[in-house]
Amino acid sequence: MTVKGQEPIAGQKLATSLMVNGTRYQVEVDSRTSLLDFLRETMGLTGTKKGCDHGQCGACTIHVNGQRTLACLTFVAMHDGDEITTVEGLANGDELHPVQAAFLEHDGFQCGYCTPGQLMSAAAMLDEPWGPDDADVAEAMSGNICRCGAYQNIVAAIQSVRKANASS
Amino acid sequence: MSIGTPLDRIEGHLKVTGAADYASDRILDNMLYGVTVGSTIAAGRVQRVDSAAALAVPGVVAVFDHSNIGTLHSFGKSSLKEGIVDEHRAPLSGDDVRYYGQYVAFVVAQTLEAATEGAALVQVTYAPGAVNITPIASDEGERNVGSHRGDPDKAFAAAAAKIDQTYRTPVETHNPIELHATVASWEGDTVTLFETSQAVVNHRNVLAAMLGVSRDKVRVFTHYLGSGFGGKLWPWQQSPLAAAAARRLGRPVKVVVTREQMFMNVGHRPQTVQRVRISADADGRLTSLQHDATNHAGMLDDYDENCSEATTYFYSVPNLRVTSGQAKRNVGPPTSMRGPGAVPGLFATESALDELAIVLNMDPLALHLRNAPSRDEGRDIPFTSCHVAECYELGAQKFGWRDRTPAVGSMRRDDMILGWGMAGCSWIADRLYCEVRVELHADSARVFCATQDIGTGTYTMLAQIASDALGMPVRHISVSIGDSSLPPGPLSGGSMATASVIPATIDACKDALHKRERAPSQETVVGYGRSNATFGVDKPKKSSHSFGAHFIEVTWQPEIARLRVRRVVTVIDGGKIINPKTARNQIEGAIVFGVGMALFETTHYDPKTAAPLNRNLADYVVASNADHPAMDVTFLDYPDYDLNPLGARGVGEIGLAGVAPAITSAVYHATGVRVRDLPVGIEDLLAPHLT
Repeated sequence: MTVKGQEPIAGQKLATSLMVNGTRYQVEVDSRTSLLDFLRETMGLTGTKKGCDHGQCGACTIHVNGQRTLACLTFVAMHDGDEITTVEGLANGDELHPVQAAFLEHDGFQCGYCTPGQLMSAAAMLDEPWGPDDADVAEAMSGNICRCGAYQNIVAAIQSVRKANASS
Repeated sequence: MSIGTPLDRIEGHLKVTGAADYASDRILDNMLYGVTVGSTIAAGRVQRVDSAAALAVPGVVAVFDHSNIGTLHSFGKSSLKEGIVDEHRAPLSGDDVRYYGQYVAFVVAQTLEAATEGAALVQVTYAPGAVNITPIASDEGERNVGSHRGDPDKAFAAAAAKIDQTYRTPVETHNPIELHATVASWEGDTVTLFETSQAVVNHRNVLAAMLGVSRDKVRVFTHYLGSGFGGKLWPWQQSPLAAAAARRLGRPVKVVVTREQMFMNVGHRPQTVQRVRISADADGRLTSLQHDATNHAGMLDDYDENCSEATTYFYSVPNLRVTSGQAKRNVGPPTSMRGPGAVPGLFATESALDELAIVLNMDPLALHLRNAPSRDEGRDIPFTSCHVAECYELGAQKFGWRDRTPAVGSMRRDDMILGWGMAGCSWIADRLYCEVRVELHADSARVFCATQDIGTGTYTMLAQIASDALGMPVRHISVSIGDSSLPPGPLSGGSMATASVIPATIDACKDALHKRERAPSQETVVGYGRSNATFGVDKPKKSSHSFGAHFIEVTWQPEIARLRVRRVVTVIDGGKIINPKTARNQIEGAIVFGVGMALFETTHYDPKTAAPLNRNLADYVVASNADHPAMDVTFLDYPDYDLNPLGARGVGEIGLAGVAPAITSAVYHATGVRVRDLPVGIEDLLAPHLT
C-alpha cells in the first residue's frame, strides 16, 4: 500500500521504501525528517515516544532489521529497504509478546511513557549475548531511562521471560 | 474485597501495546506545529525580533513575538479556588527578559521540520542587563519565622552536645521522560487542550483566565501522563501560546517542549541552603533545634520551598525555631518537585541528627528512637496515627542493623568497604475537595472524576474502591478521568489524590445502589458523591502524616573510586494500602529517585550567563537501571480512619524523603567524609586523601 507522506516543503523530497510492522510502504519524505517523527507524525504510530530527541533516554527504541535502534538519531530517508518494528507490531495479533505480558505481571512501569522503548529494548536483548544475572539485565537495559524508577520490576519481568525461554 | 490486593493496573494493556494516548500523541486534522524561540540572555530587554528569514521558510505560517501575540492575561494571585500557577506572567507579554531561555518568539508552520528551521532563523536583538546568579546564603532574604517554641538559643548554648552545620541541595530538574506538550484546538469560542497536566481542573481555570474566556469554554484532557513529579502540576507557557496561536490562525496547534527547554521553562526544585543547629543532653534527648533555610526564586516570583515542612513535628524537642527566606536570581520560576520542602529539609535535619549521634557516641537508630514524636509538637495537637518508632525498629531488624560497627571503614565484604546509614521520613496526609459520579448498569459500572493518573495507579485504585463499594468485580468497573469537564476531582500532587477520592467515590457508589433499590427496573442509575478538603483547614484538631524509615548500604572501593548504593530496606507507615503492587512500585521508584538526588542530580548554571549548562539527559545524570539498589519495602498496616473511611493516605512522595541523608550517612560510615552539599561527588571522597 502507499501512503502520502507529510508534504515535503523545504529540504529534499526523497522516495523511500520501508517495511513497518510487516507492511511495505512507498513514501516520499522530507530529507530532514527523523525516523521517530516520521513514525509518529506521518504514520500516526505514536506508541514510539520522544523523550529527548538526542539519543539519551531510550524512549524511541524500535527494531531496525531486528536490532534495537534509537529512532530519533536517524533520518527516515536512510532506511530505504529496511524492516522496522515498533511497539504496535510487537504482539502477535492479540497475543502479547512475552515481555509485554511480563511487564504487566511484574508492574514494570508506572506512567508507561518509557515503556514502549523499554519493551523494544527488552525484546531485542533476549537475543543478545548478555550474562545470566540481574546485574547483566540492568546493564543491558541502562540505555532506557525510567524516571519513575521501576527498574527492579523491569529486571524481574525480563528475567522471568529469560528463565521461561531457558527452560523451554 | 479488592482493597489491599496487589492487582495489575487496569490500564496496563494499553501501556504495553503503545495504545495509551499521551498529549503529544494527538494528531488533529489541519494541525500546525509550533516551536518556541528562547532568549539567549538571562536579563535585559528584547530590542527587535526579525522574523523575515523565518517567514521565508516554506511552510512557516506565522511568527509571534510580544508585539503581535495579541491579548493574553497574566495570572493573579494563586489559590486553590482561582487557580495556581508558578509563572504568573503571560508568555510574550513584555520585552523584558528575566531568565535564560524565556520564550521571546513562537514559530508556527505546517510541519515540525519547517517550524524548527524557522525558529532557528528568527533573529533577536537584545539589550543585555546585569545577571544575578551568585550563590545564595542561609540568612539571605527577609526572614520569615515559620514556627517557634521555647528558647532555642538558650538551650543550644547550654547543651552538652551540639551540631551547627550548613547543608546545601542543588537545583534539581524534574525530567519526566514525557516532554511537556500542548495540542490546542478551537471550535467556535471553545478551546480543547490536550495537555501534560497533573491537575486538569486547575489547568482549565488558569487557561480560561489567561485566554480571557469563561471556564466553560475550556476543556482540558490528560488521559495519560508520562509522569510529572510536580513539574506538571501548574500550567507553563507553551499552553497559552499554543491556544493563542490556534485562536489566531483558526487551526489546531501542537507544541512539544524540547528536553533542553525543560531545564529552563517548566520549573525546577530551587537550590537550598540550610543552617541547622541541634543540641541534646548527654542521654541523647534533644534540647533544641533551629532550622534556617533559604531557597532561590525567580525575579518575578516568591516561591517558598518550605524546607521546615517536617522539622516542626518530626522530632520531640522543647525548643525550636524555623525560618525561611528567598533569594531572587535570574532563573526561571521554581516549582514543586516531589516532596517539596520536606525532602530537602529532611536532608538537612536528618544529616544533622546523624552528626549529633557521632558527637554523642550513640547509635543513630537509638537517637532516632529516643526523639521520635508522640504528638505534633509544632501545632500542639495529636497525630491521627503515628508509628514511626515501629518503622525504625522493624527496618533495623530486617536490615540487620545490630551487626553494624560504628567506626568509619570498619565493615567489609568482598574487598569492598561497607557503609550503613539510616534516616527517618515523613510527608503530609490530606484531602482535597472531590466530586465523583458513578453510572451503575446491570452488571457493570463506570466511575467519573476530573482527577488524573500520573503513573501512580489512580485508574486501578478508583476501580478497586468502586468494586468493593458496589460489590462488583474490578473487571466490570471502568474509569473515566483526565477530563476537566467531569465532576471536579483532586490534582495529583502532595500525595493527596488517593485519600481525596475515597469518600466521594464510596458515597457515589452508595447513592447509586440506593437508587437502584428504589428503581430496580431502571437500566442505569447515576450516583453522586462529594467530599470536602482537609488541606488548608485553619485549625485542625489532629495532625495527619505518613512516616517511614530507610536503612541503606553503600559499598566503597577506594582503589577505583567506585561508590554504589547496594541495598535499601524501607518501612512505610502510610495508612491502609489500597494496592500493594502499585504502592510498592511508588516507594521503590522514589528510592531510585533518591539515589539520583544523593549521587547524581544537579543543574549547573553558567556563572556569567545564567544559562543551565547541562541541559540534556547525558550531562544531567539521573539514575539508570544499573544504578538501582536491591530494595525491600514493607508497609505497616495501620489505617488512618480520621482521613477517610478506608484509612488510606498517599505514597507518592514519602519514599523519597530521607533517602539522601541515609545515603550520605552511609557514605560517611564507609569513607569518613560527611557530604553536606549534594550531590555526593567522587571528588568529595577523594579530596581527604589528597590533602
